[in-house]
Amino acid sequence: MSQSAEDAARARLSRRERLRGAPAGGGQAAAPSHAPADASPAVRPHFAFLSQDRLAVLRERAILLLAEHGVVVNHAAAVGRLKEAGARLEGKRLCFPPGLTEAALSALPNAVTLCGRSPAFDIPLPRPDNTFTMRTGTGAHGFIEAETGAYRKLVLGDVATIAAVANGLERVGIVAHPFVSGVPELTADIHGVAALIASTPKHVWLQPYGEENTEYLLRIAAAAAGGEAALRARPIVSCIVTSFTPLEFKSMDVEAIIQCGRLRVPIHACSLPSAGGTAPVTMPGVILMAAAEILSMAVMTHVLAPGTPFIATPLIFGLDLRTGRSLQASVEALQGTAIAVQLMKHGFGMITHTYGSGSDTPDVDGQSQAERALLGQIVGLAGADILGGVGQLECATVFSPVQAVLDDEYGAMLQHFLRTPAVDDETLAWQAMLAVKHGGNFLATPHTLWHCRANFEPLAFQRLGREAYEAAGRRTALERAREICRRLVDEHAASSLLDAASLREIDSIVKAADAQILKGQI
Amino acid sequence: MSNELDDRLDAIFQAVRDFAQDRVAELVRHELALGTDAQTIINDALIAAMEEVGDEFAAGRLFVPEMLMAANAMKAGLEVLRPSLAGHAIRPVGTLVIGSVYRDMHDIGKNLVAMIMEGAGFAVVDLGINVLPDDFVAAVRAHRPDLVGLSALLTTTLPSMRQTVEALRRAGFNGGILVGGAPVNQAFASAIGATGYAPDAPAAVALARRLMQEGRAAPLG
Repeated sequence: MSQSAEDAARARLSRRERLRGAPAGGGQAAAPSHAPADASPAVRPHFAFLSQDRLAVLRERAILLLAEHGVVVNHAAAVGRLKEAGARLEGKRLCFPPGLTEAALSALPNAVTLCGRSPAFDIPLPRPDNTFTMRTGTGAHGFIEAETGAYRKLVLGDVATIAAVANGLERVGIVAHPFVSGVPELTADIHGVAALIASTPKHVWLQPYGEENTEYLLRIAAAAAGGEAALRARPIVSCIVTSFTPLEFKSMDVEAIIQCGRLRVPIHACSLPSAGGTAPVTMPGVILMAAAEILSMAVMTHVLAPGTPFIATPLIFGLDLRTGRSLQASVEALQGTAIAVQLMKHGFGMITHTYGSGSDTPDVDGQSQAERALLGQIVGLAGADILGGVGQLECATVFSPVQAVLDDEYGAMLQHFLRTPAVDDETLAWQAMLAVKHGGNFLATPHTLWHCRANFEPLAFQRLGREAYEAAGRRTALERAREICRRLVDEHAASSLLDAASLREIDSIVKAADAQILKGQI
Repeated sequence: MSNELDDRLDAIFQAVRDFAQDRVAELVRHELALGTDAQTIINDALIAAMEEVGDEFAAGRLFVPEMLMAANAMKAGLEVLRPSLAGHAIRPVGTLVIGSVYRDMHDIGKNLVAMIMEGAGFAVVDLGINVLPDDFVAAVRAHRPDLVGLSALLTTTLPSMRQTVEALRRAGFNGGILVGGAPVNQAFASAIGATGYAPDAPAAVALARRLMQEGRAAPLG
């Protein structure tokens, strides 16, 4: 590339970057810098590991497992109501007859809208363009500094940084709270959500750390939404509910289903089986475990919180059987995740959420990019509606804002990748084809002119030749991502996006939570 | 030791290494019938095999299920020997009290370490999940362990780990306290006064064995 061409390319990048990202507090959607002009919204291409016959076996066995083995539900009131609905108590286990499970499946909403505080950030699922939205990693307690790459504990002040970066990443529709140090551990979720919801106009994911905490988290959401009625009308938050694998549910999670149901807050029904640990070592057994647990939550939602938006969330882990460490990106776990998505999406017809990013390596290195690229592709092709784990490393325990920028780039590539082109005279360039002369080319045809901006253009990834690369100081995609990250933090590091009254109310909720939940702790 | 005896003990040793539970029992039974002393069989075949297995596990050459299967094979041999020991207890490498700390309901990591430590020759007292600091103290008074192992999966339960260490030290336990779990690291372990941190099960075994060898594990003082 000549110097002038390179300058022009840089100038174009700069313009694109200026356009990129939503202005903090402006409530405007980010400019669609990656949107191709001729994307077809028709049908997402689909890759399936399992044949329909094998999928049917998994479906049948999941329902059978609930009927014959059942699950333990540690919530007396819920057990009573589930028995009234037809569940059978055998010892400590509740068995769900197939009819009850099928009724729950039939009753599940087949579309969900996760709302932002501004409608510009609403996420209808399934996506109208048949692709997906992305969610930032949750639960990380470690943080990798964007500028230095140094690792440290994640603190409350980092929530604003994470929000600022997420606000500017177009693919990220859902922002999750990390685990923050420096505040009481038992109410760290409440402190984290209070900080996050004031810093993003996007949809927020809740992850309660204790049974009492759910109520306070929902009160914060209501305060930010403008009251409970407003939250019910436009759920600006959704909440994870998890099984206690194998086949058990803590009171906290059952209570969360009930409380979310009262406010119509969508539920991410999450199962996190670990192959060889909490689930069988073979992946079909792991997927069966996840399916049975998610179906149990569907039954509980059907009975305890009917009509509540429900999102199946299988998060499949492997176990390193040399050491016992959990792995999210072992090749078996990656395949298992894709199969679980296939089963939930195409076997049970559920809106589906899983990891689409993430790695087991502790740093933003080559392994990280390889593992998350493979993961994103296979779950994207399997049909996942939400790809979680943006920015997460070391099996979801660490967050890197620079990795989040790279994940957004992968997400853009993947969304482009999943758009199947039409095959018609226009895409065949039929007229241009008939008109091409011997020794000719297509560079200056009207057809090429019309489509020349439709191809995917990376922001962080490099397409420079050697000379330009050397002249630019050998900056790799990682350095570019760091620059983008820096700019996003500068542009989006706004003071609170909420009005003073809402902030005061949220502050009083946090104080009340600390007083109540920390009272009498050992 | 005669060559024949040596060969037969080698066969028991190898059967443990092959995870051949039934074969270990059969060979031990045969050895007893030949009049070999039970303590010789334990020390020269069963424990010797498990020491090698433990080394290979710590080096990452053996997998968790293989380590556990080898331990089961050794236990099958010990069960055959038990009546012959005539009231002499089989002395463990050390005693470990272990549990998931208060408010933490997760047990897979704790169970894994407990099984592995048992396989490595430790007597293990498993207190289960959601264990109060006072219950750890009571268990230490009752069992007088060399080591205490504390497990936590949740970041929210780290304060319980700190409180448990404090309670154990206040109660006079000056033995080794090993901590582990997803949110735990060496810095946290040092900050709360734990003796050591193990990032995974093999590291836990290696640390426990090292503490025993160094004499840094000690019962209630």
